Amino acid sequence: MPPMVIPEKCDGCQGEPEPLCEQVCPGDLMMLDQSVNKAVCRNVGDCWDCMNCTKSCPRQAIQTRLQYQSAFFPGKLIPLVGTHSVTWTLIDCHGNVERFVMKTLAGDEDEEE
Amino acid sequence: MVRERVYIDADLLIIGGGTAGCLAAWEARQRGGEDLKIVILEKAFIRNSGCLSAGMNALNMYINQGTPEDYVSYTRYDMCGAPIREDIILSVAEVVNETVALLEAEGLPIKKKPNGRYLNRGKWNVEINGSLLKPITASMAIQAGAEIYNRVYVTELMNIDGKVAGCVGFGVRDGKFYIARGKAVLLAAGGCAGLWRPRGHDDAHHRIWYFPFNAGGAYAMCKRVGVKMVGFDHRLVPVRTKDTYSPTGTLAIGMGAPMINALGEAFMHERPEYVKLGGHTAPTPTRAWALCQETLNHRGPIMMDTRRGDPERVAGLKGQYLDMSPALVLYWGCNDINPSMDPIEIDAADPSLVGSHAGLSGAWTIGTSRMTTLERLFVSGDALGAAPSRFISGTWACGRLAARSMLYYIERVDPQYLEINPDDLDRLEAHTFEPLDRYQKCTFYTNGKPIEGVTPEEMEWRMQYIMEEYCGGRSHWFHVSESYLTLARKLINRMRHDQLKYLVTKDLHDLQLAWDVINRLDVCHLVIEHIDYRKETRYPGYVNRTDYPNVDNENFDCFITSVWDPETDEFHFEKEPYVQIVPGDRNKESI
Ligand SMILES: Cc1cc2nc3c(=O)[nH]c(=O)nc-3n(C[C@H](O)[C@H](O)[C@H](O)COP(=O)(O)OP(=O)(O)OC[C@H]3O[C@@H](n4cnc5c(N)ncnc54)[C@H](O)[C@@H]3O)c2cc1C
Ligand code: SF4
Ligand code: SF4
Repeated sequence: MPPMVIPEKCDGCQGEPEPLCEQVCPGDLMMLDQSVNKAVCRNVGDCWDCMNCTKSCPRQAIQTRLQYQSAFFPGKLIPLVGTHSVTWTLIDCHGNVERFVMKTLAGDEDEEE
Repeated sequence: MVRERVYIDADLLIIGGGTAGCLAAWEARQRGGEDLKIVILEKAFIRNSGCLSAGMNALNMYINQGTPEDYVSYTRYDMCGAPIREDIILSVAEVVNETVALLEAEGLPIKKKPNGRYLNRGKWNVEINGSLLKPITASMAIQAGAEIYNRVYVTELMNIDGKVAGCVGFGVRDGKFYIARGKAVLLAAGGCAGLWRPRGHDDAHHRIWYFPFNAGGAYAMCKRVGVKMVGFDHRLVPVRTKDTYSPTGTLAIGMGAPMINALGEAFMHERPEYVKLGGHTAPTPTRAWALCQETLNHRGPIMMDTRRGDPERVAGLKGQYLDMSPALVLYWGCNDINPSMDPIEIDAADPSLVGSHAGLSGAWTIGTSRMTTLERLFVSGDALGAAPSRFISGTWACGRLAARSMLYYIERVDPQYLEINPDDLDRLEAHTFEPLDRYQKCTFYTNGKPIEGVTPEEMEWRMQYIMEEYCGGRSHWFHVSESYLTLARKLINRMRHDQLKYLVTKDLHDLQLAWDVINRLDVCHLVIEHIDYRKETRYPGYVNRTDYPNVDNENFDCFITSVWDPETDEFHFEKEPYVQIVPGDRNKESI
């Protein structure tokens, strides 16, 4: 489920010593394309789909896209990370939308739905 | 080329800041006091590295009922009654519950029943909201004030006269040469994925079950310095959701969804050949074997029938998978699958080598010390062999116990840092960066490929092809024989002896891939020779020997260990006796 970076949204994490997506990747796959100052996954085939890069991006610039060999187009899964939960939006190929709020950290029970 | 060097000395040197490594650091601080210097070398970023990096939705080891002895009995049963290190599993089972409580206090949300007790999944699991499992685990090490070096890939251990002095590696970002010494060294760099061909190709070749960035470094480094190894005659064949290879415990144990074949038979319950092996709760390898048998007998595809599962739990399936394998939820959305109405297709995937899940591979350890046969070197997590079913929670506990034992060793022996010969260091440095240095001397084809060398990807594909064809990959339904192994040996050894000198890498990222290949080839070597040595079929489903299809208790009801001899490139094999501590029938669960 490799990460695809949307160029209009990615600002290269200006001001950060290292782009956040690059910092978190357990496989060292996200990197900055110096010529345009935007992130790119250096080898989508090497990605394990952990979604850390997607979840860590402050600008929601990373879209997770399944390999076409195993899934149809154009479904989407978008995480929105809160302090104690993550809200997932699943949009299937037919445009049906589902939302899930999953607890991530104990405490602040109000945030849950 | 002269590279900048970083010298590190630590009382406790931990290689791999994962599940085991982080809890070892925490425990060491609790018991070793403020002045203890604890260092972790981690090849990625500690908050998001290793098996836990995608999150998980259950802790598979928890004593919900019964005693630690019952857990040992279950583990033994689940490995087909095979020899396991009962002493180690017992030691873990005794502290696993209190360890889980520590992580709960650190913020891990554990699901509760209305009566306030943990929500169990079967006898031995508890359900969690584990999407932040790794950051929470890492915070235990950070809190403990461990000095953490992120993005340092460790390449070799240093053995000085039978004692492990420390390790060397390279900075993935800074390109520096790291030399770390420890009074006690813990190797906790995980297991090994990617020896066999994955089911998905090209842009899906890492869509595999085990964490692909644990590439056997722990096993290979141990092998190369002469540590006694165990359990490479075994491998885990994961039965998982087709295409995404996500865990299926959520379906099988969580909601009681049975496996069904194309005839709609819940074959584990309905076909006598499987009922007599334990039915739905047959040992894990047996269930993998049954799936393969059904498919080979043209009764596939095999599904998990969620329609027959607990409806209340099935409704929450997507949420549960979002905590662990979000890819599967998107996959369902893209393939018009509604998991509460449609059975979920499953398949057997490429084998992995692990020590803490349903696997036995790793270093042999002395008693419950976690010390290997080389002094000062300890192992935990997937790197420790013959003690399966520790999983996440047991690995946390196992990391803590390793730290205690290391502190005891330091206190008792008062080890001093060992002097390392400068010539040896120069040699190790050259060796570590060789593929990078070779690339500098290459010329290139018009398509950018090096004329004088071979890339890590190319070598990986070749290796996976050899293992797939000749060492019982999925396309052979995990069957092997002497004749196939002879070919596997010949080709893998050809790569090891004569081809690695062509390995070239353009940058530091690829240098990791080069070392992944070097390590994996050493693990292939272990696997081929161990499987060849065990002339019987003790774990059908995982390793099926067509030339020795039965269990041979007279010769092989024991552990098989090996020590590699660098002079002859051969293994010295030994049979270690199995010691049964928990009485009872090994092929039955006590509760
Ligand atoms: C997909 C999957 C699902 C699972 N599901 C469950 C579950 O639901 N419940 C459960 O209880 N258990 C589950 N397990 C098992 C559990 O995750 C493992 O048993 C446990 O995490 C292993 O811990 P470890 O410390 O050995 O490895 P890890 O936690 O992976 O730690 C190894 C660390 O070493 C680092 N490293 C590797 N090589 C090097 C090197 N050369 N130099 C420096 N650092 C290095 C890695 O980056 C990593 O941080 C699952 C495992 C997998 C893979
Ligand atoms: S984290 Fe987001 S904004 Fe920052 S570099 Fe990566 S994709 Fe771009
Ligand atoms: S999904 Fe995970 S493995 Fe893939 S690029 Fe992102 S952080 Fe890396």
